Amino acid sequence: MDFYEFAPYAYFFLIVFLVVGSYSYIYHLYKNRKDASGVDYEHYSEMALKDDIGDTPVKPVSRDKEK
Amino acid sequence: MFHWLEKHPFFFAVGVFVVIAFAGLIEIVPNFAQASRPVIGTKPVTLLEQAGRDVYIKNSCNACHSQLIRPFKAETDRYGHYSLSGEYAYDRPFLWGSKRTGPDLMRVGNYRTTEWHENHMKDPKSVMPSSIMPGYPWMFKNSADIDTAYATQLTNAQFFGVPYNKPVPMKDGSTAVVKMADSVAGAHAMALAEAKEITSKMKDQNVKDAVARGEIPEIVALIAYLNSMK
Amino acid sequence: MENRPLEYDYTVAKMFMLTTIVLGIVGMTIGVFIAFELAFPGLNTIFGAGLAEYTNFSRLRPLHTDSVAFGFTVSGIFATWFYVGQRVLKVSMAESKFLMFIGKLQFWLYVIGVAAAVVTLFMGYTSSKEYAEFEWPIDIAIVIVWVLWGVSIFGLIGIRREKSLYISIWYYIATFLGVAMLYLFNNMEIPTMLATSAAGETNIGDWFHSISMYAGTNDALVQWWYGHNAVAFVFTVPIIAMIYYFLPKESGQAIYSYKLSLLSFWGLMFVYLWAGGHHLLYSTVPDWMQTMGSIFSIVLILPSWGSAINMLLTMKGEWQQVAASPLIKFMVLASTFYMFSTLEGPIQAIKSVNAIAHFTDWIVGHVHDGTLGWVGFMIIAALYHMAPRVFKRELYSKGLMAAQFWIQTLGIVLYFTSMWIAGITQGMMWRAHDEFGNLAYSFMDTVDVLHPYYALRGTGGLLYLVGFFMFAYNIYKTMSSRPVEESELQNASPMGA
Repeated sequence: MDFYEFAPYAYFFLIVFLVVGSYSYIYHLYKNRKDASGVDYEHYSEMALKDDIGDTPVKPVSRDKEK
Repeated sequence: MFHWLEKHPFFFAVGVFVVIAFAGLIEIVPNFAQASRPVIGTKPVTLLEQAGRDVYIKNSCNACHSQLIRPFKAETDRYGHYSLSGEYAYDRPFLWGSKRTGPDLMRVGNYRTTEWHENHMKDPKSVMPSSIMPGYPWMFKNSADIDTAYATQLTNAQFFGVPYNKPVPMKDGSTAVVKMADSVAGAHAMALAEAKEITSKMKDQNVKDAVARGEIPEIVALIAYLNSMK
Repeated sequence: MENRPLEYDYTVAKMFMLTTIVLGIVGMTIGVFIAFELAFPGLNTIFGAGLAEYTNFSRLRPLHTDSVAFGFTVSGIFATWFYVGQRVLKVSMAESKFLMFIGKLQFWLYVIGVAAAVVTLFMGYTSSKEYAEFEWPIDIAIVIVWVLWGVSIFGLIGIRREKSLYISIWYYIATFLGVAMLYLFNNMEIPTMLATSAAGETNIGDWFHSISMYAGTNDALVQWWYGHNAVAFVFTVPIIAMIYYFLPKESGQAIYSYKLSLLSFWGLMFVYLWAGGHHLLYSTVPDWMQTMGSIFSIVLILPSWGSAINMLLTMKGEWQQVAASPLIKFMVLASTFYMFSTLEGPIQAIKSVNAIAHFTDWIVGHVHDGTLGWVGFMIIAALYHMAPRVFKRELYSKGLMAAQFWIQTLGIVLYFTSMWIAGITQGMMWRAHDEFGNLAYSFMDTVDVLHPYYALRGTGGLLYLVGFFMFAYNIYKTMSSRPVEESELQNASPMGA
């Protein structure tokens, strides 16, 4: 099998791997309902709804150490 | 994982780039060396043909005409042998087109003549009564840009090693040499000689007069190019 | 209402709104004109034989495609970025003189670039590669404009208050990177003035003329890798960015599923780039590439529908808003057309279907139900949503907007149905053989049957253009209509009768 034959197979299996990977990540998010920093992932959609300059950011940039 | 990326724009951008660049790398790069070998019988275009190709591009003929015959019976019956990759080895840019509002032109030189093209380009309805193609009468007046065509030939030879002034193998076992001029003045003389061959078969008196004066109308160059497509 | 010293600054957004509308009118008018040229070829010389060189179909066709893609759509992308970007990052452009300067510089360079592109295309200076027709000096200008936009994006992100990036920002970043990569690689060319003749002469011929760095099949491969993904990163990715912001905002509904949007984003990024091969089925590129192009085009349905379904489900329980607001109508129909054309595309990418569809008007129909229905409607909706907020006025007329919606929808339906019939008819006629194995139809026969469909298509396009003029008028009158209290502007846009 030369490279030209190998490349598409490699790409195909990479895609399969990535699909499985991202689906399991999503499943993980659904199961835990919260992401790594303890915020409900769905909560981020507030970023579009509360976007006046005076609104409090969903997750403010802080200059302190995180968390 | 992704959630972390969403808070770190730099790594997010890197991630996106890696993902989108990947397919291109695998798809395009490995094929490059293979696809560009010319098949036997493929010659680079002559100076006047190059000028005609530029006229073809200038008027976006490729918006309505393809230069790609697919391997189906209906297409080979209609247009001739299906296209081979190596036949395009000297095409910069490629002119496959994406829409056939008019027919394919890949091998139009096999079945149309100088006389036919002259009538057709002036008024398509004179040879194809219900044609929707517009006429291109200005090509009989505007002069072809021989200088730029010559510069294009030089660029092809110097940057991409297109074999001008070198023998290329032909189908019957012989070799052919496509000559390229040494100077701009030489190029004009060469193009004019080619143009005279074409105009000897044309009827339009203004075009004949122009060539006699040493000018080359666009139509002459275009017909030279169309005739070369075999 | 508290007194806030700091406000979002929409100066640059307003500038790009203007070019969106102006270039939309230019591109669509040319489009309608050349559509009728195919139906009634006499129109090619309607402005006189002297001007025929500049008004015939072939010279105008790149002007149409480039002015709607790089004029109307790209302006719309910039206009919405300079609006959405500030809001979801919660930072005003007024806070950075540098970013404001870069934004304005980007606008003026863009205008100069557009002017140069229009003039050169009229003159016939083209590299012939579709959607990349510009010669090298304009390519360089485009790259500079694009880099300036990148500075704007990452500059604004750098001073943001909101730590997490909203979905729209992902898509804008992807647009920036994707177009940058594709454009650079597809436009690699050598200016012919660099060559030297044997007699030592240089700078021969036109200085702006160039030839592609790739030849033949490779050139085609790179071009359609670009061409297909220009569709991805100009007509899909940034438009998704818009709908992910404007639909939730206008309807006041949170996105149905943030998680689904994440999956569809990365899915789209992984898969889209591979699908370019479906433009080259049965051509001389290697067979495995064609097959992969076909397969991944079909895989592409998943992430595309992920986004579209997410949008439609966002309206769950709030469907009365679709009936009540023409603005929501535009966006819901846009996502419906997105689903429709992302299903149609993969069908055309199946090899046996492509054998009939390729080179025919069906492809033209497919492009237009995507661009008119999805891209056009979404940009129109975005500008309608932005107008009351950037001008601080209510929208001039809701009735006009609703009329525009129905006229344009009818136009799109006429357009794609006529092109389907035209494409499939012609594709079938090309391949028909009689009982003796000879071709059943001459090429001319297959052109003659298309006349009524070409006339219908032109009519459809004309209706869409009429709607676009109504849009321009509505926005223009909005600038002088009744001012609104800012507190009214939470969700639904205020509209006059």
